[in-house]
Amino acid sequence: MRLMMAWATLRRHPARTTLAVLGIAVAAALLLDMVMLATGMSESFRSLLLTRGYQLRVSPKGTLPFDSEATIDGAGAIVRALRANPDIKAVSPTLGSTLTIDRSRIPSAFTLGLERDVQGDYTIEAGSDITHADSGTTAPLPRIVVSQTFLTRAGHAIGDTITISSGLDAQLRTSARSSRVVIGGMGRFIYVPGETPVIALDLALLRQLLGPSYRDRMSLAMAESRRGDSASVEAVRAWIATTQPRVTAISTETAIRQVEERLSYFRQLAFVLGAISLGIGFLLVATLVTLSVNERRGEIAVLRAIGTQRIGVLQQVFLEGLLLTSAGIVGGLALGLVTAQWLNGILRDFPGLPSAFDFFVWSPAAGWRALALLLTSGTLAGLLPAWRAASIPIARALREEAIG
Amino acid sequence: MTHVLAAAAALACSLGAIGATPLEAQRASGQRDSGQRDSAQRGIAIDARMAEDLGLAVGARVRISSKPGEPGDSAFIAAIYERKADPAEVARREYRVRLHLDQLQQLMELDDRVDRFAVGTRDGQSIDSALARINHVAFGFRAHKSRDVAVQSSRTFRVVERFHFAIGIITVVASAVFLLCLLLLSVEERKRDIAALRLMGISRATVVRAIVIEAAIVSLIGSVIGAGIGWIASLIVNAHFQELYRTPLVFALLTPQIFAFATGLSLVLGIGSGAAAGWRLVKSSPLALMGR
Repeated sequence: MRLMMAWATLRRHPARTTLAVLGIAVAAALLLDMVMLATGMSESFRSLLLTRGYQLRVSPKGTLPFDSEATIDGAGAIVRALRANPDIKAVSPTLGSTLTIDRSRIPSAFTLGLERDVQGDYTIEAGSDITHADSGTTAPLPRIVVSQTFLTRAGHAIGDTITISSGLDAQLRTSARSSRVVIGGMGRFIYVPGETPVIALDLALLRQLLGPSYRDRMSLAMAESRRGDSASVEAVRAWIATTQPRVTAISTETAIRQVEERLSYFRQLAFVLGAISLGIGFLLVATLVTLSVNERRGEIAVLRAIGTQRIGVLQQVFLEGLLLTSAGIVGGLALGLVTAQWLNGILRDFPGLPSAFDFFVWSPAAGWRALALLLTSGTLAGLLPAWRAASIPIARALREEAIG
Repeated sequence: MTHVLAAAAALACSLGAIGATPLEAQRASGQRDSGQRDSAQRGIAIDARMAEDLGLAVGARVRISSKPGEPGDSAFIAAIYERKADPAEVARREYRVRLHLDQLQQLMELDDRVDRFAVGTRDGQSIDSALARINHVAFGFRAHKSRDVAVQSSRTFRVVERFHFAIGIITVVASAVFLLCLLLLSVEERKRDIAALRLMGISRATVVRAIVIEAAIVSLIGSVIGAGIGWIASLIVNAHFQELYRTPLVFALLTPQIFAFATGLSLVLGIGSGAAAGWRLVKSSPLALMGR
């Protein structure tokens, strides 16, 4: 009954109700988007880091993975030591560099040297995986994997043979080392920005191409703890930090913290705008219900005069606020998901970020919590006007209504 | 004090690349320049943040190496420099060290290599022809116009700008709905007054004009109060982020142009909302508005 009366009151002023619902919907959409932004970066980065199960990154001392051109010397011994630890399930060493591509539309490409069986940097989308660099003149050419961007920009196709070189001498126009390779497959590179043309090849081949100073180097190694709980991962990280003084071991949690620190601007912006949208929702409902109650003083007085209990009036006005906020939230949920896609599309153009990285990620727990907060806030906003409505002095209100 | 010049072609390197541990170890011994400096010892420049964190001062001697744990070379701090207020670097916490080009090449065992070098044309007019000639003979490198490089490196800010614009649109829509809702309600609340005015013979247009003027005044006052809140918020935002990132960069700025734009937009929205609300009311007959 109360619900029907509240609904009838809202329907009596369709324009006003529509505008209020629209206002709350926009506020809810903004709040939802900001919650998705605040939680999405961490969630997205976490799933990106854990795509292939590696929970630890080992990089040169004092650096983040691929944050500088620094490399780790004595990589073989470090990888062997890590693999000898029974708590470590797998270790994937990676060396990054830039190689020149002869007679190509692009002069050079970012290159990753990897061990095929343990690599966690790409997934094959077409063709076949990289092969080991066998020595001997009769051995088949080594196969490499490239990104879609590489194929598009270099104008090559799977199956093409190309020559990759390093150690160019601009004066003599020669390269110190080069190798003919076959493009065996196309891969989706998890950590490399989509706009970067990238090549993956066998680690030994890349070391050979980069010369003697790189024969035992790597840019980073990824390690997977046998047990996935955070305490075990942290124990392995601490063990690496203690036994390998020339490297920095970073757990997924630490990496997320550091990325969050770099992108803290977005989190703080999300907090500020989220708070503003909550405030707008509260103010809108409070104003609307207050004015609605003021307008209906006579009506409420009549209801009280014919025996409606104070609590009944309170419930009805309270329900009006609840209905308005609920309707706005339903609209806001749809609007928020659409605008999140739009905003995510804008931010995904950020240079240097992996193409799989999302800024806005729907996290059910956080999303529902935010909308519940708005619902509570909007409903509470109707509480004071509801109390005022229930406390209207009946005789005075009726007299004022009669006199006009 | 030896004046350290950052060579235009200096290899960009992070502290990690030149070995952080030896520097920290040297800080522990805390040696200052005592006039007994080795003649072969070179001066380096470090950024102020690093000097502050590691307690280093001009004249302090340090050891720098390309690999952690190796002895490397001895150098003295010849200068401490303030970083530019560069938004591209603001979130990066790494320290920066500037060395003479040959010093870094030697340290990194890079012989005669550089990452990039800048070329200045003599008259500034022949950039295209110089670019074409360099790229014609280039082997393993490419020349780019500084303007193109700047456009590429400013992509981050263009993305942020587009994001702010999108957020701005959402905020303006929310504000517009809020304003329209408020004005509609405030006008409707006074429908008896308006009915009385109409019964007295005041024309519809005059009533709507009065409501529009009132809406404009409300919008103007709201804009001024909003600008005040925005200005205080910008002070807080700047203080917070400048402290957080240790940079002189200004993060939030309230300029007269921004104030004028916000006020103008608010006035347009206010006048539009006022006109819509007023017109909706005066369409009804005065007696209906009176509830008769």
